Parts: sequence; structure tokens; C-alpha cells
Amino acid sequence: MRTPPGVALPLAVLLYALTGHAQPPPKQAVPPPADLPPGVSPVLWKLAVPEGAAPTPERVSLGQKLFNDKRLSVDDSTSCSTCHDEKFGFTDGKPVSEGVKAQKVTRNSPTILNAMFNASQFWDGRAATLEDQAKLPILNPREMGQPNPEAVVAKVKAIPEYQAEFRKVFNRDVNYDDLAAAIGAFERTLYSGNARFDRFIMGDAKALNDSERRGWALFNGKGRCNTCHAGNVVSPLFSDQKFHNIGIAAHKQDFVKMAREALKVVRTGDEKQIDELALQTNFSELGRFLVTKQENDVGAFKTPTLRNIGITGPYMHDGSLTTLWDVMDHYNKGGVANPYLDGGMQRLGLTEGEIDDVVAFLFTLTDERFASQGTKRLAEQRARKGQRPERDTAVAMGKKGNLGDLAPNPDLDVKNPAAIGVYGTEASVKPASTKKP
Amino acid sequence: MTIRMKLLVGAGALLSFAGGVALAGEDSAAPEVKKHAVPTSKDGDLVVGLCDGVTSLEVDGVKEGQKLTREQALRVSGALMEQWLKKNPDANWDPAPAVAQAPPPTKTPEAPRSPPAVPSTPQKPSSGGTMVGGGVKPESGGKDVKKQQGANLQDGHTYGAFSQRDEAIWAASTQAFVEEGNRVFHDAELLGGTVAVSCDMCHPDASNTHPETYPKYQVQLGRVALLRDMINWCIENPVRGKPLADDDPKMRAMEAYIYAKRKGTPLEYGKK
Repeated sequence: MRTPPGVALPLAVLLYALTGHAQPPPKQAVPPPADLPPGVSPVLWKLAVPEGAAPTPERVSLGQKLFNDKRLSVDDSTSCSTCHDEKFGFTDGKPVSEGVKAQKVTRNSPTILNAMFNASQFWDGRAATLEDQAKLPILNPREMGQPNPEAVVAKVKAIPEYQAEFRKVFNRDVNYDDLAAAIGAFERTLYSGNARFDRFIMGDAKALNDSERRGWALFNGKGRCNTCHAGNVVSPLFSDQKFHNIGIAAHKQDFVKMAREALKVVRTGDEKQIDELALQTNFSELGRFLVTKQENDVGAFKTPTLRNIGITGPYMHDGSLTTLWDVMDHYNKGGVANPYLDGGMQRLGLTEGEIDDVVAFLFTLTDERFASQGTKRLAEQRARKGQRPERDTAVAMGKKGNLGDLAPNPDLDVKNPAAIGVYGTEASVKPASTKKP
Repeated sequence: MTIRMKLLVGAGALLSFAGGVALAGEDSAAPEVKKHAVPTSKDGDLVVGLCDGVTSLEVDGVKEGQKLTREQALRVSGALMEQWLKKNPDANWDPAPAVAQAPPPTKTPEAPRSPPAVPSTPQKPSSGGTMVGGGVKPESGGKDVKKQQGANLQDGHTYGAFSQRDEAIWAASTQAFVEEGNRVFHDAELLGGTVAVSCDMCHPDASNTHPETYPKYQVQLGRVALLRDMINWCIENPVRGKPLADDDPKMRAMEAYIYAKRKGTPLEYGKK
């Protein structure tokens, strides 16, 4: 299956010559809207919206209609918005999503909010663009269940209003590419960056309370969250857009055996086949490996954005963690050991109070537009604080196992390092108070 | 810099003098930190000192405690520099750049991510693109994977597969930090100054800041200084503000700006 090295090198050089230099950034970036909220970066906007993909009002309005239309599914039961519902921050609030005929898939529905800024789409990055992404759930037997693109086009064409509108917007007959382009355009309006955190980082120290500010410091310090959930003035997503094995599925899989079996089944890089394996079989747990077939991608999933994280639970690629307290417990014990665990996964030694602080901070990333949802979800999650299936205090505190030592941490009562421009350039954030809580 | 921090720096300096004598200086009094005491005016006029620790200038008609306009401050800093250059004709001081200095950036509070006010630092061609080879990148979908099958390329996702998108984000983030420094450098109020003097008045476009020569012994300070120590010295005189903490975001941003302006200059610590 592998090419001998003598062949690989010239091939690599050839590929480098072809791809490495033949992909200059898009020449004419689409200018971002003038009224971007503070937590959305114009630079990232330009990087994320390629030439020709500008969300024109006509495309957006057609895309929104398609996004909410159950007739795109095989039995008129399921639309994109079934699993990406605005009421749940454009997710479905379920551990794993349900498609046509109440069939369950194996993955958790990620939010569409800020999906336009993702470097790749899906938990395993199997689609490179929003448009590529939009095509697949319609055709997945467990999601919207259409047999093939032709069937979708035929069905949409038979609806007179769509026929007219496609002609108006794209100046040609209904086709699958244009349908995806319209949905993509609508998704490019779903950016979100008007959270309480944004007011804080723009200089309003009082926008966060003491606990939330301590949480922000822990996020960048002892919790080491920012290593992967990197937030920055240019890329304010709190995600590195890379793939990491953090051991979520490790306790129920023999990854080594499974990867070997998967190699026999998986053909080369066929997005549709990967799509079905990812949503219907146990191979789903192999994550990015299904796409790249690289051993170091076994069990690795994309770092999701933390924007609106409070309202987009349950968490992880399989929705197996119900609250952000569960998520913190998972990381606090260094994840679940497996041969492919990311090297950055180590115990954190966070105390209960510190976990509360980080969770409080995470809820400040909810857009003001969803403020009431945020309050509701926080109350729900807090009510479950007693149930902590993932908690292993002995491991987290280093009394059991061998998961490394912790670095000394700054005393937040003396000085909160979050006040000093970790996020980027902000010079105006002053600590609101240094008094002890 | 708080008094406590100064004491710490002082103690550190003492320790390095002691050359390994274990913690001998910890409890003893820290050495006196030099201060530039400007003379007082007979008429109660404002006296502004220069960063050499010696030169000062009485501003006629302006009382101590009164504010200066930017135009007045420019005249004051200009006169001070003239005096100093007369005293030090052989000083290694570059003439002001021939091109007109760019106007100071806007300082509306709505714009903390300052728009570029001076031409951005020319980037060497090496700062983009060269790391990216072929192969599967984080943003690659299944189609790209298919293309690269058979090419045995390294594909460590965590640190290996940085892409042009990543590099663009890094470059823009760094530039934003530099621009923030640019803004602080030009803004007497942000510097905490009381007489409208800002850094750019003696150092247009960060000229003559020589960040590459630190650490070095600074006679005015009577000790070995880092760039930030010298920035703080100038913030006291002639800017007339309170020294910033070492980790103050304004200090960090100014360092970023000053270093960015000297891109390509070899490091030469200790240079006079």
C-alpha cells in the first residue's frame, strides 16, 4: 500500500511544486460587513470568505429558505435546522443527532455559529468548505436520507417557487452546487462575537465578575486550555482548528485493532464513504484517521470553537459529556489514556473552586443574542453539579497514577495574569479589583 | 514599576555583583536607584527634564502642573534635543528620518486595535509560505487526501501541518500587537504623561531607540538596563508619567513596536 521511498520523494517534490506554490491566497478578498461585532475579526473574515462566495442578500435569503426546508429530506421530515436549531444555539441539544425515521447518528451536532471561520468542516474535517459540507447530510441515509444529488435536484426543481428563485439568483436551472452555495451563503451570515467576554477584552473590566476573571486566568494558565482553544484578536474562535485525540472514546474502543480493520474497509478519501462510516459505524470513533489514514490521527477530532459553548451542549464529538463540569473533570484527570492520546493531555490539578471559575468564564462566551438561553443552560448544568461521572480527584491531584507534575501557579489574589494582554493587543483592560473573593 | 519591584530589581543587581555569594544581599538595603531631579523654577514655571538625566528646560509662561498642547510639547522636546546635541556633538545619534513622520494614530477608545498609522514594517520574504509543503493540512477535506495518496509526506497534525491560513493569522496577530505599540508610542495621555510629550517627539518612527543594544550599562540609571528600563526612564522624564510595570500591556506593546522597527538589525548587546 505504501510506495517505496525512492518513488515517494520525487512525487513529494512534484506535489510540493504543484500545490505548495500554486495556491496563493485569494486575490480579491471579499470586504467584510461594516457592522461586525467586536468578537469577529475582519482579518479572519477575509481569510474565510473566498472570492465568489460573498454572501449576497439574494443567495442568503434562498439559502435560509433551503436551510429550514424539510422537503430537502427524503420523507419531508428533516431539514438542516432540525439538528441546527437556533433555539439551541444552532445545535439540537441532544447527545447525538437524529435524522429521518428517527435514526440516530454517531456524532454530536456542532453549532453553525461561526462555522464559516472553521478551517475545515465536520468533527473530522472531511469537508474543506461550507459548500462541500452542505452536500453531505442531505445524502446520508441516517440524516436527510436522499439517495443521490440528482434526486435532490429533481425534488427541488418540482417546487415552482424554488425553480423561479434559483433562476433569479444563479441565472440557471436548479443544480446541487448552487443549492450548496446558497446554504453556504446563509451560513456566512451566522457569525457571532458579541459576548460579555468581548466587552471585557475591549476594556470594560466590570463586564466579568471576579470568578469569571479568575476563570480566564486559569484558562490561560493552570488549565492550559488556550494551548488548543487558542483565542486571539485575529482568530477569536478559541480553537486551533487542529485535530487531537483527547481520549473521549478510548474506554470503549481497542483503537489499534479498529484502525487495522478500518484500513481494509476505507477506500481512498471518498467523502461520501467516510461520511457514512463516520455517522453509522463504530469506525466513527477513529475520527480524523478515517480521512487521512495516518496513524497519528487515530481518535483525533477537531478542536471546536468555544464561542457560545454554554448553550451548545452536550459536549464532545459523541455528546457523551453533559455539562461543562463533566468536560472539566475529563481534562482535569488528563483525559483517558490510549496509545494515541495527544501529548498535551496531562492532569491539571484544578480544585473544585477553580473548575467552577473556568466554567463561569466559559459561559461569558455566549453571545448577548442568546443571553436568556445562556442563563437557562447555566441553571440546568449547575443543577447537575452533584452528578459527576467523569470526576477522578485522586488522579487530577496526582495521588494516583503518574500523569506528571504541575508547574507553580500565580496567586490570582495578588495579580491576575489575564489582565495583561494575553488575548492580543488590548492595553486597556485593567483589573477591576484585587480584593480577595 | 512599584517601589517593591524596584527593590527586587535592585536586589537582583546586587546579587549579580556578589557573584554567587548565596543570597547575601537579600536583606540588606537595596542600592539607591538614580533619579533625575529637575531644578525648580524661580517663577514656578514648568521644568521638563531630558532622559540623559542632566539636561532640563524651563518652559516660560507655563506653570508647573499646567498641561501642554502637543504643539508646545513638540517645541519643548525639540529644544531639549537641540541642547543635548550641542553638548554631545559626537553622539551616535541618527538624524531624524528624511521622510515626514506619519501622523499619530487615532486614539478613539472604540479603536483599540489601532489602524496602521505608519507604514507597516517591510516583511522579509521568509515570513510566509516557506513552511508549507504539500500534503494534508488541517483544512484539507477528503479530496485533498485523495490527491496526496502515495506521496509519503509528514503529517503530524498538532505541530506539523501549519498552513497559509495559520501563518496569515500569526502575521496579522503580531502586526496588531505592533500597531498597538505604535499607538501608545505616539500618545502622551496613554503613556500617563502630564506634559503632552510622547516618545515619537525625540524618536520619530522609533529612530534612535537601538533596542538591539540592550542589555547595556546606562550611565543615567547607574546600572545595566533592559529596553523596558530605558522606556520607563523616558516615561519619567521627559514624558512625566509614572513608570509602567514590566508586564504592563502598554510596555509590552511598545517593546513589540520598537523591536519591529529594527527588523533585520543584528543583536549586539552591550553596545555603547
